[in-house]
Amino acid sequence: MKDFEYFIPKNLDELFEILKILGKNKKFLAGGTDLLVRLKDNLIKEDNIVDIKNLYELNGIKEKEDEIEIGSLTTFTEIIESDLLNKYSPLLIEAVKRIGSPQIRNKGTIGGNICNASPAGDSIPPLFCLDAKLFLLSGKESRTVNIEDFFIGPGKTILRDDEILAKIIIKKMKDNEYGFFNKLGQRNALTIAIASSCTKIIKTNGKVDDIKISLGSVAPTVVRAKNVEDRIKNLSQYKKDEILKICNELEKDINPITDVRGSREYRIEVSKYLIFESLNYLLNIRG
Amino acid sequence: MKKIKVNFILNDTEITDEVPVNITLLEYLREYLNLTGTKEGCSKGECGACTVIIDGNTINSCLMLMPEVNGKKIQTIEGLSKDDLTTLQKSLIEEGAFQCGFCASGMIMSLTNLLSKIKNPDLIEIRESISGNLCRCTGYKKIIDSVKNYINILSENKMK
Repeated sequence: MKDFEYFIPKNLDELFEILKILGKNKKFLAGGTDLLVRLKDNLIKEDNIVDIKNLYELNGIKEKEDEIEIGSLTTFTEIIESDLLNKYSPLLIEAVKRIGSPQIRNKGTIGGNICNASPAGDSIPPLFCLDAKLFLLSGKESRTVNIEDFFIGPGKTILRDDEILAKIIIKKMKDNEYGFFNKLGQRNALTIAIASSCTKIIKTNGKVDDIKISLGSVAPTVVRAKNVEDRIKNLSQYKKDEILKICNELEKDINPITDVRGSREYRIEVSKYLIFESLNYLLNIRG
Repeated sequence: MKKIKVNFILNDTEITDEVPVNITLLEYLREYLNLTGTKEGCSKGECGACTVIIDGNTINSCLMLMPEVNGKKIQTIEGLSKDDLTTLQKSLIEEGAFQCGFCASGMIMSLTNLLSKIKNPDLIEIRESISGNLCRCTGYKKIIDSVKNYINILSENKMK
């Protein structure tokens, strides 16, 4: 493993002092489940590692009226075991349960998953559906951005050199909101998605009032399937043929690549099926 | 090489040491302490051969930097029991659960951690607990059977 300088700030003041000095030449260490693999493969060019685990401000899951705040250092296991999130955000739980393995979920953090900005980050599609906002903090100021505006490309975000992701704020799911997450990988555990999808609908009297569909691993970032969403919203009846036709138009929303896990063509076909499976589960499809 | 002072508890023994910042817990256990019970498989967090228990949770020791262990309580396969094998280990032998044995330490750590939290796990819980541990020889069935066997032994002992 390459040699690096290791920093472990005791508080936020110390962190921002360090960030001021290091500028671009640093990598954050949260859970490290991705960073360590990349350090071993010599893919990290930065010379400084900033371990943020001592910053207690970045921990914890809190209830705030109709929202829930999740500290960026919250591990996936803590999310799965949270009564609050099980009650108000089962969609996030379903997705997080599919991440890595017990060992990875015990160490990996939601903040790390977001900031890695992988199009295959499994916690991201549900956060798109839950209207997540990200609270970014620097020494001077803070700002809150919608998660959909955070990603620029694979591994690229709008996070500035002097900033840190402090917490994730999601809306509680209401009684008339239903969600579904599905993911296709090569096996069940420890698999990076070939494609994944997350759908949330708001239903009134059996009719879809609002729908959000997000997909992972089929574009440079996680994306919304806005074209499909609009078409579903305009339906008065949920017939199988019609839904299948809409799912077949998913190509307008996604732009996958061919890589070791699957070809572009395969990903497109699989994504259509993932979306159909979700809609079939969430809507009372007839015919 | 940058070094850092760390203090932690390993198998009930307090250790203070000065270590390079860029080595993993796995490297430290095997190469500095000669505790070779913890195995190195993929070294990417995918096979689980290097599983240890830290503060009551299983983690891949290949994905933990030494500076991160400061203040932690670590248990490796060597620390499961002082003299004899544990009842779980005996059940695994009884059942012929392992062939080459390379995954054994990691499997045993994952299962030990499960049984310390859930006394009578069901099939789904047993399978989930070892979902991060790869076995290429026996195909998991005998490993799962030995956990069931272990649970039976425990309840029989209780009845006596």
